[in-house]
Amino acid sequence: MNDLNKTLALATSGLRAQSARLRLVSENLANSDTPGYQRKIASFAQEMMNTQAVGEVRQGPVRLDQTTLPKVYDPSHPMADEKGYYDGSNVNLMVEIADAREAQRSYEANLKLFEQSRKMSASLLDILRR
Amino acid sequence: MDIASNLAARAYASAKPATKAEDTSNPVAKAAGEFARLVENGEKTATSALVGGADPHALVQALAQTELAVETAVTVRNKVVEAYQEILRMPV
Repeated sequence: MNDLNKTLALATSGLRAQSARLRLVSENLANSDTPGYQRKIASFAQEMMNTQAVGEVRQGPVRLDQTTLPKVYDPSHPMADEKGYYDGSNVNLMVEIADAREAQRSYEANLKLFEQSRKMSASLLDILRR
Repeated sequence: MDIASNLAARAYASAKPATKAEDTSNPVAKAAGEFARLVENGEKTATSALVGGADPHALVQALAQTELAVETAVTVRNKVVEAYQEILRMPV
């Protein structure tokens, strides 16, 4: 039973990490028109307990995309410089959609694993019922 | 004075096993302790999720683990009761 219980905990950590990633994608999408916004990149790290990996995943530090911000020409913008350009955001909608889809697939995989470990333990207990 | 403190130390040592939390050598007691811990964890997580403390993932995980533990306990109990009734039906 201990292994199946552990599988539940591991799958849950994956679900949590992927939902954190989706939150970052959503932040990027919401800020796609914010001047000077650098897109955030999710990172993952192994959960450590007493300097030993326990197998769970956790969200690592959030990194900022360092690609140069595109110059947008709009002389009427309040943040525009003397030539009429201001810094846009380096959010690429296509990349964000791909990232969101990847988070969804990973989430589904973890959900499936959760379901399967529940099914396995239920059928194990079914043996005792006969 | 010395004798009194000696006696007190001996009485304390003899009273120690009675205050022990749980017998770890007995596997049944161990399983029961584990079961109680899982159910308590499930209740705690459900309470904190309702007041906004824990995230839904933790709630789902704790409830699934509690369900698993309760099912195991109930199945084992049913098996034990069944065996007991089987013995009762035995013609003497």
